[in-house]
Amino acid sequence: MNDPLNDLFTLLPELLLVSTALIVIVTDLFIPRSAKWVLTPITILGLLLTGIGCVQVWAVDDHVFGGFYVVDPLSTFFKGATLVIGLLTALFAPSYLVSRRLPLGEFNAILLFSLTGMFVLASSSDLITLFLGLELMVMPAYLLTGFHKTDRYSNEGGLKYFLLGSFASAILLFGISWTYGLTGTTRIAEIGPALGELGTAGPAVLVAIGMLTVGATFKAAAVPFHYWTPDAYQGAPTPITGFLSVGPKLGAFALLVRLFAEGLGPQRGDWLIVMAMLAVLTMTVGNLVALTQSNVKRMLAYSSIAHTGYILAGLAAFAAATTPAIQQEAIEAVLFYVLGYGVMNIAAFAVVGMLQRDPQRYGGLASFAGLASRAPALAAAMAVLMLSLTGIPPTVGFFAKLYVLLASVDAGLGWLAVLVALNAALAAFYYLRVIVYMYMRDGEEDPAPVDRHPFGTAALALSVAGVMLLGIFPEPILTLLRDSAAALF
Amino acid sequence: MIEFAREIPVLSLVVFTPVIGVAALLLVPGDRHRAIRWIALLASLASLAFSLLLIGYEPGGAEFQYREDLQWIPAFGMGYRLGVDGLSVVLVILTTVLSVVSILYSWDKIKTRVKEYYATMLLLMVGMLGVFVSLDLFLFYVFWELSLIPMYLLIGIWGGPRRIYATVKFVIYTLVGSLLMLVAILAVAIAHGSGGNEFTFAYEQLRGYPFTDGLQALAFVAFFLAFAIKVPMWPLHTWLPDAHVEAPTAGSIILAGVLLKLGGYGFLRFSLPLLPDAAVEFAPIVITLAVIAVLYGALVSMVQPDLKKLIAYSSVSHMGFVMLGAFVFNVQGLQGAVFQMISHGITTGALFLLVGVIYERTHDRLIAHMGGLNARLPRYAAMFGLFTFASIGLPGLSGFVGEFLVVLGAFQYNGWVAAATMLVVIFSAVYMLWMFQRVFFTVPSGWMRRWWPSLSDMSRTEWLSLAPLIVLVVLLGVLPGPVLNLTEAPVDRILELIAPSTGLTSLSLPW
Repeated sequence: MNDPLNDLFTLLPELLLVSTALIVIVTDLFIPRSAKWVLTPITILGLLLTGIGCVQVWAVDDHVFGGFYVVDPLSTFFKGATLVIGLLTALFAPSYLVSRRLPLGEFNAILLFSLTGMFVLASSSDLITLFLGLELMVMPAYLLTGFHKTDRYSNEGGLKYFLLGSFASAILLFGISWTYGLTGTTRIAEIGPALGELGTAGPAVLVAIGMLTVGATFKAAAVPFHYWTPDAYQGAPTPITGFLSVGPKLGAFALLVRLFAEGLGPQRGDWLIVMAMLAVLTMTVGNLVALTQSNVKRMLAYSSIAHTGYILAGLAAFAAATTPAIQQEAIEAVLFYVLGYGVMNIAAFAVVGMLQRDPQRYGGLASFAGLASRAPALAAAMAVLMLSLTGIPPTVGFFAKLYVLLASVDAGLGWLAVLVALNAALAAFYYLRVIVYMYMRDGEEDPAPVDRHPFGTAALALSVAGVMLLGIFPEPILTLLRDSAAALF
Repeated sequence: MIEFAREIPVLSLVVFTPVIGVAALLLVPGDRHRAIRWIALLASLASLAFSLLLIGYEPGGAEFQYREDLQWIPAFGMGYRLGVDGLSVVLVILTTVLSVVSILYSWDKIKTRVKEYYATMLLLMVGMLGVFVSLDLFLFYVFWELSLIPMYLLIGIWGGPRRIYATVKFVIYTLVGSLLMLVAILAVAIAHGSGGNEFTFAYEQLRGYPFTDGLQALAFVAFFLAFAIKVPMWPLHTWLPDAHVEAPTAGSIILAGVLLKLGGYGFLRFSLPLLPDAAVEFAPIVITLAVIAVLYGALVSMVQPDLKKLIAYSSVSHMGFVMLGAFVFNVQGLQGAVFQMISHGITTGALFLLVGVIYERTHDRLIAHMGGLNARLPRYAAMFGLFTFASIGLPGLSGFVGEFLVVLGAFQYNGWVAAATMLVVIFSAVYMLWMFQRVFFTVPSGWMRRWWPSLSDMSRTEWLSLAPLIVLVVLLGVLPGPVLNLTEAPVDRILELIAPSTGLTSLSLPW
């Protein structure tokens, strides 16, 4: 266990990822402007190699570096999902960035560092590592939000995200120090039992749990800590918005699973109600506000808040579950939702980006009008994504919702399941509006030009195929999930 | 001759032949309209041919026949489980017949986005047929939702001026119901699974399991919402007139002919057998709503100025009969309910088709704009008359059998309920005949006179598409036996399952 070489081997994915980032930075310095496109294939290659690295360590279940770092199927699953998100982002971004003269090399490097942060977050078994990973994930995300230096909205979004994000990090850190003060340990696995010895529901314990909850749900963009989301999402360059809406969210849920399911599992009676209420509030507010948006980018931003709510419902189901089997099912639901949502949301943002080839277009609903006759394949892809986000079978979005509903009902939270179902129907209203514009309205006089970059098109085809296939045959992923979630128990 | 049907996966063929049609359509360029129509027609005809093999169903044999049972997502006990009993057989054949009718009717009517149109029609077939043959609650739900999206597109793309409002209303109504039903399905499966049984969505394993009263009541309400919205029952019917008015003719035919039956089928297949205690508990409420629907639909029909709206509201009334028959819990009522579904599918489908015929020629559906058409279009008038009478329930035509049986069943339940519904038979004669008179007999309106020279009687494709319905409406009116034979065993089965809850046994009731 303490053989340093073995420790290094378990870090294979992280090492590959960081090396790729460094190679990208160095290569960027030495190649001419006309050859910058090659940075994307390099990034892709690096991500694929990292994926192979993940496969290599899949069977590992070990605490390394003196217990600061854990490599188990759960963390590896999160890493795999992170890679999928990173891969899609790297493919979707180039044409959007290049047409706006934004530097591709820096983008890829920053993206890779953010992914590394997500890796560390997923693997942290100590509060210090956890915080380190979190900051490594969000710092590049702040940069990416403000990536369009000459765009006011991008600046505004980046600054807001940075200010509020730092604030939330401070709260989380405060919660961590409070927890350390109470328990004398920063090991996640030891927190729960140590707090248990103090006796539950003491005010100090509640403050600690409260601080941690606020900090963590802020990163996940749960209501009422969501105010930074719409501006940051709208301001960021569209493919980056796609990444922001799923990447840091995946990281935040990795954090929530590690911290709450693993660390505060014994205290789940204390945070159950808070988590369930946050879930209800988040999905309802997210959907209600999304309903009123006429800008697709902003609509998707608010809807991503609603999806946070559904995932939180899965976490609440974990807290309410009475048997380990149901607890595990709830964690599986969270994992499946995060992955499925990641793919479909990033692709949906990418479609919005493809219609913004002309930088003056701001992603309004009108740019989708009559898309079905102008670009039938793109419209069909977007329609599938919208149906998937709504949760209509046979798509991955449906199966993800089903999983959450199943876990909630199984855990005895029938009322929460009913609210999730009603919210899904509410969401149908605005998701289907995009289909209405694409298929049932005539196009504008001067339709938005469609971007047909080969990387983006390939990535879109890949994501839509994934959305359909995982919806019809989820079995392979379910097996992986089972192993991953089992690592917690 | 049709024995070989038991050797092949005939149900999968029925359900998925249209998918092959869609795949073929994707390979054809969008401007080859002729080829596109033929592919769609052949695909639907093939599905119809396969569905006719199901007539070989043996009423005396196993309950569900032509079974297919494959693993799908074993981790969650979801299987690809198909099978039919007599009830499914008649509804499957109704669906395939009406789909062929709609595709034929659309032949020269649809001129925009032809390829997408026929692909949508074929996908709609898949969803509807899948619902009727699923023996797995999860699979059933998937098909149920699958039938929603094509109809959404059909109304939204090829519909009338207010199509977007109508189609969004239709989808949101349906989704609210069906998502709650999904929660109920999960709750039922989990309750069964946590009782020490295998966790499964298999219909036959869940049926007969003694669910607790509380769960039954909640699940019944959720199922009820999903099915009652689809049927639609008063007061959840308000999406129907809008959807019908805006839908293209073929959409209306399918909507009235099959989609509403999904709701009725849901009650008979799931609500009653799975949750018998709750069904008995809630029966008085459902019956009250059904009687209101029957009366309300008929009264509102009387004052409709628009032909399509009139028929839409008459559907509310006719489907009220179905609900009434389903919840009086006796052989006559249930048999009547099933027969009424079939008959309503045929007559209302035909009426919408006929309204489409005149709309094609005058671009108008207002009754006040019609008049005197009998003189100009005698054959059309004769056909319209035939289905008007069938809708009223004239003996000798299919409409009579179902209504008669339902009223008979209602009498055993409560004389007043039966009396109230009998009244509607008079109302329906009033609104249908009055409408017929204003459209065909009075002096032509000024509006109609403008079209007068260009009016032509029914075309060949219109005759061809109507022909199967003409045959069926007469045949079922004179010879209801074969259908009633097929549905007898399923009806007995429902009564058997519900008997412990009602305290009655199905066989003790006098005929």
